[in-house]
Amino acid sequence: MSQISIGFEREAASAERADQLFRQHQQEIYHKTDALFARLMLAQWVAGIIAALVISPQTWNGQTSQIHIHVWAAIFLGGAITVFPIWMTRVFPGAAITRHVIAVAQMLMSALLIGLSGGRIETHFHVFGSLVILSFYRDWRVLIPATLVVALDHFVRGIYWPYSVYGVLAASPWRSIEHAAWVIFEDVFLVISCARSVSEMLSIANRTAALEVSEQNFRQIFEEAPIGMAVVGLDERFRQANAAFCTMVEYSEEELRDRTPLDLTDPEDVALSRQLASAMFETAGSHRVEKRYRRRNGEVIWSTRTGCMIRDEAGKPRHALIMVEDISERKRGEEALREAKEEADRANRAKSEFLSRMSHELRTPLNAILGFGRLLERQSASETQRNYAGHITNAGRHLLDLINEVLDISRIEAGGLQLSLEPVCVADAVAEAVDLMRPLAAERQISVEVAPSQDPVLYVLADRQRLKQVLLNLLSNGVKYIPVGGAVGISATLDGAENIRLTVSDNGPGIAPEKLSRLFTPFDRLGAEFSSIQGSGLGLALCRRLMIAMQGTITVESSVGGGSRFSIHLPRTESPLVRGAVGKRLMTDRLALSDLGRQRTILYIEDNLSNLTLIEEMLQEQPGIKLLTAMQGSIGLDLARRSSPDLILLDLHLPDLPGWEVLAQLQASEATRQIPIIVISADATSNQIERLMNAGARAYLTKPLDVAEFYRALEVASPRPEECVAA
Amino acid sequence: MPKRKKIIVFTVLLALAWSGAIAFGLRTLLAYEATPGAVGLLAQTWPKKSSIRRTPGQPTLVMLAHPRCPCTSASIDELAELLAHTHGKVNSYVLFLKPEERDWAETSLQRAAAAIPGVTVLSDPDGAEAKLFGAQTSGHTLLFDANGHLVFSGGITGSRGHAGANAGENALVALLNDQPAERSATLVFGCSLSGGEQKSGGQLTCRK
Repeated sequence: MSQISIGFEREAASAERADQLFRQHQQEIYHKTDALFARLMLAQWVAGIIAALVISPQTWNGQTSQIHIHVWAAIFLGGAITVFPIWMTRVFPGAAITRHVIAVAQMLMSALLIGLSGGRIETHFHVFGSLVILSFYRDWRVLIPATLVVALDHFVRGIYWPYSVYGVLAASPWRSIEHAAWVIFEDVFLVISCARSVSEMLSIANRTAALEVSEQNFRQIFEEAPIGMAVVGLDERFRQANAAFCTMVEYSEEELRDRTPLDLTDPEDVALSRQLASAMFETAGSHRVEKRYRRRNGEVIWSTRTGCMIRDEAGKPRHALIMVEDISERKRGEEALREAKEEADRANRAKSEFLSRMSHELRTPLNAILGFGRLLERQSASETQRNYAGHITNAGRHLLDLINEVLDISRIEAGGLQLSLEPVCVADAVAEAVDLMRPLAAERQISVEVAPSQDPVLYVLADRQRLKQVLLNLLSNGVKYIPVGGAVGISATLDGAENIRLTVSDNGPGIAPEKLSRLFTPFDRLGAEFSSIQGSGLGLALCRRLMIAMQGTITVESSVGGGSRFSIHLPRTESPLVRGAVGKRLMTDRLALSDLGRQRTILYIEDNLSNLTLIEEMLQEQPGIKLLTAMQGSIGLDLARRSSPDLILLDLHLPDLPGWEVLAQLQASEATRQIPIIVISADATSNQIERLMNAGARAYLTKPLDVAEFYRALEVASPRPEECVAA
Repeated sequence: MPKRKKIIVFTVLLALAWSGAIAFGLRTLLAYEATPGAVGLLAQTWPKKSSIRRTPGQPTLVMLAHPRCPCTSASIDELAELLAHTHGKVNSYVLFLKPEERDWAETSLQRAAAAIPGVTVLSDPDGAEAKLFGAQTSGHTLLFDANGHLVFSGGITGSRGHAGANAGENALVALLNDQPAERSATLVFGCSLSGGEQKSGGQLTCRK
């Protein structure tokens, strides 16, 4: 139904209601005025009898007397005049005929009273007063019979008893007309008054109807609202509640009127409800909260309750409006979701544990396979045996890669992948990856070209090992999937002011557009599984997850026959050397390690070349410091045992061993237990710090390094000679 | 017959009865009020046996009244109005019937008459004066000119006990103001002074 037709229907309903109200009001007036006249006529009757008894109780004939005819007239004629209109008011109250009978009777009563009073001019006012009282009906038509009676009285008496009216034996009809004209004169104003009254009544009826329709609309909205709505009085009891609310709490509106919202509130949420009620009372606006109600049967309903205080113009609270939405279903859904998530997490943890165990179980025999495979390759006498042994080691390496990738993906999904985000020199990472890839490329006669960078000192914020892993993956894909003699290129460019794009491109066969969406799906090799090219289908899936974990992205552009371009985007960062230089200038005058008085050895175990360079830069101007470096955990452990450094700086993210394991081994060994260790890591979680400090670290520094803090840590962790003596 | 219909029929019958009763009652009342009293043999000149002293050279007005007649109240009211219009031009007397065996000395009518300026209230023992003047109905008013000749006789109300403009009062006002009067006699409406049967349609004398 259109809005226009709804509007018309409302107007029609309003007009109909206005008409109904008008008629109702009219009937009320008719009934009341009928009742008024019934009492008035009785009073007039009694008054007439009293007047007759007082004024003319007897008539005299010389010395004899008898009851005056006025007394009989007052009793009987007055009674006759009175009884019929009273009957009419009882039998047909509010009817038009009743009003007209009353009008006639009232004028006849005027005639009687005038007669009984001896025609006193004052009594004539009764006629005019009666007309005014008749106008109480607000029906001008009632004045017609009244006026006709007066006119008829004058005309009839003017004709038959002119002496009694005009004091002459023969009166002119004009005198009767004149008398009637005065009555009509008053009638004119009474008719105007009636018309105005009716107009006002219509206006009131229209306004009332419009208000009723409006109120009805609002009431309907309130009643039919799909959410529970209720009005609460200042005595905290419900005043109104809509059907939705009643259905929700399973109480009728009548029953709710004896209750307060707190009666329906779950005991655990009563305090919260009180706070809200207080807030609602004190501050304007709506207040929303999730709380629990209880149904009649005690069942808990979770709801979103929005409440606001309705105030008068002076801001004084009148009542509160609350809207309640049943969210039990949603809550149950959330609970189920939470349980499902917990279950999934448990399953995931179980899966990770399984993978971890399987990894261990698979790696162990692989160790033997690969180890003995290599031995066989070296020691086999015949070419055939060496060839067989080569197949064994190749298959073993492939299986090992596959296991590593599966583990990486599972770690990422389980959130267990440890990343060390730090400034990584793009050129170094690219060079390392390309160097590793060159043998394979040479084998397949693929040229790998590194495009010269516009800015040779680009740094990205990334995990160095993982970045290299991504680059290796992309490069190896290029090398593996393009025909012999093809070319793979790698370039680094600025991607806006804050990002760097590393692109690996090839001139291979390219990828069909419809396959691009499946490119990063694990184990989906896009048909390459039917080729002789080895692969697990996990490489790109792993790349994508690693990039996301490093807050970067990976994109691909490819066309059949047009080669492919894989780009990774990472946030650009400042060179740590720059930061180190600034920090060094600031701190040189504060600390001079050479003051320690003797040659001191510091071992730095770190696989990131930039970080190594940074520390070297920071310490090189200190003549008493000898810096040893190790880029792998195992080498670091070996160096520590052999050279017994005065201090070890330990990175946690190492290619061969986790830093915490290196720490544990250093602490476990008698030879290295006393060497203070400062952990340098990008992981700044308190749990991690606490764990490593408990494991024996003397200090824990987070990357990027705060130079001042670094020097302070050196000073605290590295004992002076005299301190050593004292110790 | 359904109750509603019975009520309607009864109401119609009641309306008819009501109309008839009212018509009859009003007709009776009006007829009564319009019925004039009797008029006796009028003295055309001032009765010599009258105990009232007429002032020669001045008009004299005499009203004969019953002290208890309610209709005469209107006559007294009209007399007051008449004398207000003709102040000082006439000697006025109101003679109230005074039977021997009744103590009618202090009635409201007598007090009302005595309160009218220029009016002398007198008792008329056993109606002797009324007989001399020829009046038989209370409120009968007579006007004698300066020479003692009767110039007007009749009532000064339009009907029984009915105050208001009337021909008698108009005629008296005209005569006392030396104007020609339309009539010299009018009907008298009031109680009988003599106690006998009232005879309607008293004699009217037109002064033309």
